Amino acid sequence: MSETALTYQMVDDTVLDTLRPPEKTYWVTVALLFVGILLGAGCWLYQILTGIGVGGQNNPVHWGTYLINFVFWVGIAHSGTLISAILHLFRAGWRNPIARAAETMTVFAVCTAGLYPFIHLGRVWMVFYMLPLPNQRTLWPNFTSPLMFDVVAISTYLTVSSLFWFTGMLPDLAIIRDRAQGLRRKIFAVLSLGWTGEYEQWRHYARGYLFFAALATPLVISVHSVVSWDFALGVVPGWHTTIFAPYFVAGAIHSGLAMVITLMIPLRKIFHYEKIITIGVLEMVAKTIVFTGLIVGFAYGTEVFIAWYSHNIVEMETFRWRALGDYALEYWIMVTCNTVIPLLFLFKPVRTSLKWLFVISIFVNIGMWYERFVIIIGSVAHDFIPYAWGLYRPTIVEFGIMLGSFCLFFFLFVLFVKHLPSVSMTEIKEALPAGGGHGD
Amino acid sequence: MATEPTRLMGLFDKEEQAVSAIRSLRDDGFTLERVHGPIPSHLIADALALPKSRVGWFTLAGGITGFLAGFLLAIFTATRWHLIVSGKPVVALVPFVIVGFEFTILFAVFGNVLGLISQARLPRFGPIAPYDPRLTGHKFGVLASCNAARQKDLHHFFEGKGAQIIADEGGQS
Repeated sequence: MSETALTYQMVDDTVLDTLRPPEKTYWVTVALLFVGILLGAGCWLYQILTGIGVGGQNNPVHWGTYLINFVFWVGIAHSGTLISAILHLFRAGWRNPIARAAETMTVFAVCTAGLYPFIHLGRVWMVFYMLPLPNQRTLWPNFTSPLMFDVVAISTYLTVSSLFWFTGMLPDLAIIRDRAQGLRRKIFAVLSLGWTGEYEQWRHYARGYLFFAALATPLVISVHSVVSWDFALGVVPGWHTTIFAPYFVAGAIHSGLAMVITLMIPLRKIFHYEKIITIGVLEMVAKTIVFTGLIVGFAYGTEVFIAWYSHNIVEMETFRWRALGDYALEYWIMVTCNTVIPLLFLFKPVRTSLKWLFVISIFVNIGMWYERFVIIIGSVAHDFIPYAWGLYRPTIVEFGIMLGSFCLFFFLFVLFVKHLPSVSMTEIKEALPAGGGHGD
Repeated sequence: MATEPTRLMGLFDKEEQAVSAIRSLRDDGFTLERVHGPIPSHLIADALALPKSRVGWFTLAGGITGFLAGFLLAIFTATRWHLIVSGKPVVALVPFVIVGFEFTILFAVFGNVLGLISQARLPRFGPIAPYDPRLTGHKFGVLASCNAARQKDLHHFFEGKGAQIIADEGGQS
């Protein structure tokens, strides 16, 4: 591993170098992303003022891109916790260079996902009805509903992943404080909570971090299981199946890992992280994508097999129509991008080439978006009664909101990488063999 | 008349040097006050023979509170209106497990954070001395004290261990 050449000081210098005042191109990127957010916000405002009908959701498809994007972003959020918590428990050292960026991705992706239920509500000011608060009609939320499970699960996930992210950053914030001057020093003194690296602090920190990881692991599995039950607890053909929870969790990790590669490759190039985020690290992510892709492919096959094996004509028709009907193109994009294309990572020259890694990660992202399209739209558009069948296409307003949400995610991420350490200096140092060299 | 204690900090490049100093300090009659480092080193933790952290008890207390709070909240809201939904009982324990589970995790994490900041005595914004900004980056610091009469001995001790020495003069703000 080329990390052997690193010293503690080189790690600090490399990461802190990314926090220098940015060039003009950075602010142009930030401004463009902000314009995208304004466009999305404008579309949402138009929807609020005009009515939810400006979106394409109507009989029989009431859950359109708003739910697709909600599930997509929650899915993206999952690999962050996989990398930071589950791989931490397994002591997988290769996760250290990418853990911080993946955790950050998690926090921002959950924030983005969390917007969609608000958007889909239409009358967004009624959002407090989802909270267990007394209101003027003395009505309370009913926790037997999977939609209420979602409220609890997503808000718990956002809170826990944010706290996990901030706690993990404390020692790094202290490093920045100790190298900063003036106002910047004061800001980081507050943010680092007075961390000094005293062993009395490390003793409790290491224990607390371990518990964080141990708690985040079942949480991450539960959250996408709960999201899957939004569908699986309904009787709609194509949704009402016990496979949904593991299928959704595997899919979420699949898409999240792909997004990690999509983000890491430019980050590595722009900030000269070549010695820290090595090809070996990206290769390990690619291998994991092969594994999750196979699980997802197995789930696609199982769904079709069980529909045939059940002799339930409605289920059989649903899956025949998915593959051969009006949304066949979307179905085959899903299958190809999620299960066939990632198999290219079985070849070492492909999974060690930055270009191939980046391109395939984009394909997986596209495939996973279409997976949500196929599941959500494909089932309600073509359920029990032929009289009620219908088709759905997103409107320009929905595309605008979708563009805004993507811009919001990348806007937050771009701001983060220039203002906070995008690689955990402490965890990189921990992974250096025999403490590395120490320079100075 | 008793002499005033004096404090010196040895700054080490490698954790093994710090470990060696920690192990020898007490044998040589000095008092070990604090140890700093940029990583949570197991070698140093072993040398210090630190007791197990009690953060876990806060986490456990939070988890139990959350488990009860989740179930009770779901039961409370369900019993405000005795409506049977989807043929489920009003107090439907199976779906309430999900609420109980999520609250268990949430409150356990709150407990964990509370335990961490209270046990590690954070936030702490006052100055500490002696302190060196390199301690969070790439140096290991061992702070020891002794009678003023033995200051030179302590100085020699740290020099012998390969440390750079900083005296108790200023602090980190």
